[in-house]
Amino acid sequence: MLLTRPRHAEQLPVSIDRRRVYVLPTRFGLFFSVLLLAMVVGALNYNNNPALMLGFLLGGAGMASLLAAQMQLTGLEIAAIDAEPVPAGQPLMVRVHTRAEPSRRRRGLRVDDDGAGGGGVPAGESALLNLDQGHGEAQLALPTRRRGWLELPRLRVYTLRPLGLARAWAYIWSDAPLLVYPTPEEHGPPLPTGSGENVQTRLHASGDDVHHLRAYRTGDSRRAIAWKPSARRDSLIVREYEQPLGADVVLDWNALSGLAWEPRVSRLARWVDEAERDGRRYRLCLPGQAHLGPDRGVQHRHACLRALALLPDATEATEATDPREIA
Amino acid sequence: MSALPPQTLDDVSRRWALGAAALCLLPLLLQLPGWLAMVIAVGGIALTAAGWRRQLPLALRVATTLAVVGMVLAAYHFRFGRDTGCALLAGMLALKPTETAHARDARSLIGFSLFAPFATFLLDEGPVSLLLGLVAALVGLAALQRIAELESGDSRFALPISARLRSVGHLALVGLPIALVAFWLFPRLGTPLWGIPQRAMGSSGLSDTMEPGQWLDMFVNDDPALRVRFFGAVPRQDQMYWRGPVMWDFDGQAWRQPAWAQALPPAPSQPSSTRWDYELEFEPTERMQLVALDIPMQAPALARLGLDHNLQAAAPLTSVTRWRLASSPPARYQADLPDRFRDAALALPDGFNPRTLALAREWRRDAGADDTAIVDRALAWVRRDFAYTLDTPPWGRNAVDEFLFDTRAGFCQHFSASFVVLMRGAGIPARVVTGYAGGYKNVFSDYWIVRRSDAHAWAEVWLQGRGWVRVDPTAAVAPERIYDTLADRMPGAGGLFGALGSQAWNLRDWMRRGWNNLALGFDAQRQSQLFKPLGVDRLRSRDLIILFGLFTVLAITWMAWLSARGQREPDPVIRAWHRLQRRYRRHGLACAPHEPAGQWAERVRLEHPDQGAALAQLSDRFVAWRYAPLKPGPRSVDQVRRELVRDLRRHRPLSPGGRP
Repeated sequence: MLLTRPRHAEQLPVSIDRRRVYVLPTRFGLFFSVLLLAMVVGALNYNNNPALMLGFLLGGAGMASLLAAQMQLTGLEIAAIDAEPVPAGQPLMVRVHTRAEPSRRRRGLRVDDDGAGGGGVPAGESALLNLDQGHGEAQLALPTRRRGWLELPRLRVYTLRPLGLARAWAYIWSDAPLLVYPTPEEHGPPLPTGSGENVQTRLHASGDDVHHLRAYRTGDSRRAIAWKPSARRDSLIVREYEQPLGADVVLDWNALSGLAWEPRVSRLARWVDEAERDGRRYRLCLPGQAHLGPDRGVQHRHACLRALALLPDATEATEATDPREIA
Repeated sequence: MSALPPQTLDDVSRRWALGAAALCLLPLLLQLPGWLAMVIAVGGIALTAAGWRRQLPLALRVATTLAVVGMVLAAYHFRFGRDTGCALLAGMLALKPTETAHARDARSLIGFSLFAPFATFLLDEGPVSLLLGLVAALVGLAALQRIAELESGDSRFALPISARLRSVGHLALVGLPIALVAFWLFPRLGTPLWGIPQRAMGSSGLSDTMEPGQWLDMFVNDDPALRVRFFGAVPRQDQMYWRGPVMWDFDGQAWRQPAWAQALPPAPSQPSSTRWDYELEFEPTERMQLVALDIPMQAPALARLGLDHNLQAAAPLTSVTRWRLASSPPARYQADLPDRFRDAALALPDGFNPRTLALAREWRRDAGADDTAIVDRALAWVRRDFAYTLDTPPWGRNAVDEFLFDTRAGFCQHFSASFVVLMRGAGIPARVVTGYAGGYKNVFSDYWIVRRSDAHAWAEVWLQGRGWVRVDPTAAVAPERIYDTLADRMPGAGGLFGALGSQAWNLRDWMRRGWNNLALGFDAQRQSQLFKPLGVDRLRSRDLIILFGLFTVLAITWMAWLSARGQREPDPVIRAWHRLQRRYRRHGLACAPHEPAGQWAERVRLEHPDQGAALAQLSDRFVAWRYAPLKPGPRSVDQVRRELVRDLRRHRPLSPGGRP
């Protein structure tokens, strides 16, 4: 049976059988074997049986450690790989979920990305993977460069244990891509003023108009405490302010015609975050798509950023449609 | 491969690494001269302590390294040998811990440390070294394991020492099959690839010179020099003269064995009817000198006999060797002495021992031509007027004169040397023979032990018609000193505890000999006869290599099985249940991970009503065994379990695909 490595991305879950596990000596392992070789040749030359036995015992233990390293990986099942999307440029925290029969201790396995970062991007650091009670997960930081679907690189699960003489590893290559959001613009203009109908107000802790007093809740700022009323009532009272907020924000792709393609994506991404932070309802209008919203909340934000992330590249977009229609 | 940045050692790992290095160093230090070992040990500990928190400056480290190299070389008088190399290794190892800051350093420290037990075995193959060496190697592996844990980023669990040793011991046990296969079948070298380095310092073996006082060290050394197993007749204890170097040349101070005697073929001898067949197991001495019962009939392979039946091996005896020999006390031994040998056996240096020579001439005048009378007269005198003692003054210029006329007390060197000078003065050809005398039977087994302290020197005189005849003047004075006739000459003797001690010594030596038989004396020749009991007379190298390959594959398979066994479910019921599930899986009826046993059986029953009933019943029993409290019944718990396991194992899905 030849060793097999995945040549194409494959669907998870994948279980690592012994034919997918590679075992090769580490540099120290090579040094150790040279040492043992010297020992054995010396012992043979002097016909010194204890020395020979010592050499062979150490060699046997080394061989056993190779097997043990392989056993650490075989039977391991990669159940799923997922990640919370992040803006491009920030490392994507990839979670590798694994499970295995709990009959064997699998501790101190590591996961890395096999140097796939390449091209000037430093390879991600490796992450620890311990399996307690038959399951465990590793969190691996993968560098991201551009928005859109990130094809997962071939990941590698490896271990140097038990003796550090050999490295046993197996490749996992998931075909499920992970999403990377666009990078929000760093310094940009404020949100466009709202043009919707529904004017609403929001309670705001630092507004100007005093609205009313209420009982203290944990987490309230000390500055908001109204000391005089509190003293009268024997309990802490907090001032609550009210500030008028604008109408729904409309984030319109076509309104930004002065900008190039990617900066436009960046600005919209920033505005989505800003609107979300201010708690305003917003609507995202992208070319060739139904409008998103108006709405607010985590779900809506993700939907908007996802739509932005999946916008085609400038070049693709130009090829696909009439540039004037979009610009 | 993305490498992690150099991992700094934590205190636990560093302690493991340093402890392993110290343990590896210990057996080697025990083999070095005491003061040197002390200096290395104390220096190593001091430097390690000084460099524990902060690395010592480079200049200091270079200086100490040079100092250690210089000191070791000076200790061995700048002679290079195996022990010089080993002492250098010990010194270097003692210095290495000062530069152990990262995991890499610790690894290389342990790697080099594992060489120390190896070096120890080159110096000493004894059981103490062996035990210490194996323990050290095991701890070394445990330290490696600890470092690997540290590097894997999962050193949360500080395993107790015993658990760590156990897990390394498990690795070693799994590795044992291949180690044993390699040990017994890896082809040995019939002849070494390169020269055997000798020890720079002499060890206490028989030497080809005999100088005054030289043997006092040996007399206090109770270590076995050789062990003997007799086949058939066993000589009387007072006949056990183990013949070694024969000294002809005397320069007034030292006796020497002449090179020409060793180069000549053995002198003709007429064996008597007595014949002793025996096997010698010779402890290593670093010399080529062997001994044999007086006198060996012919040389075994890889050894040769000189003119005076002095047996020498072809190569230095660096490890335990075995020799099959036959000896016979001669009826006539070189009955015709050619003139050149007669001259050599009569030569005396000018200007030494005038009183002895005068006495010898006087005796010759009294005796006329009767050589035997002179020998008898000398022996009678020795018996009457001399005493045995190891406490002797240093020899002066006319040592023989002083011994015969002034002190009249000494040990075998004095007796034999003086006797030979006296005989030569009287015109009787004579020579000094050295070797061992006596022997001691181990009560635990049928073999004899000759210790280094049994070293002895006696005389041979050439008598007309009889040839060389052995005369032992020491025996005339102190036979008990030679033949081990007194109980208190037994090792570890004295009182009740002495008796126990001597039994313990016997037992220890018996085990040592067993170990020698099993492992130490195993060489190319014995390896080639490995399958003799199976009727294969001789294995050639090619056969060995094929066998080695074959058994290696077997051993690795076994190792893989041993390693994989960790995954085996310990409970036989669950194991049988899993196997049953696997059988269904092959038929496309796998039990899903989330599916309870009963639900799965129910599903199978719905899909294949013809075969579900038996499975449902089995799963009920399985669930009851697993989860229900056991009801006291007519059958014992064991019985219930056995029956359940049996039924689970027997059950098969009805037909492939679940379809009739």
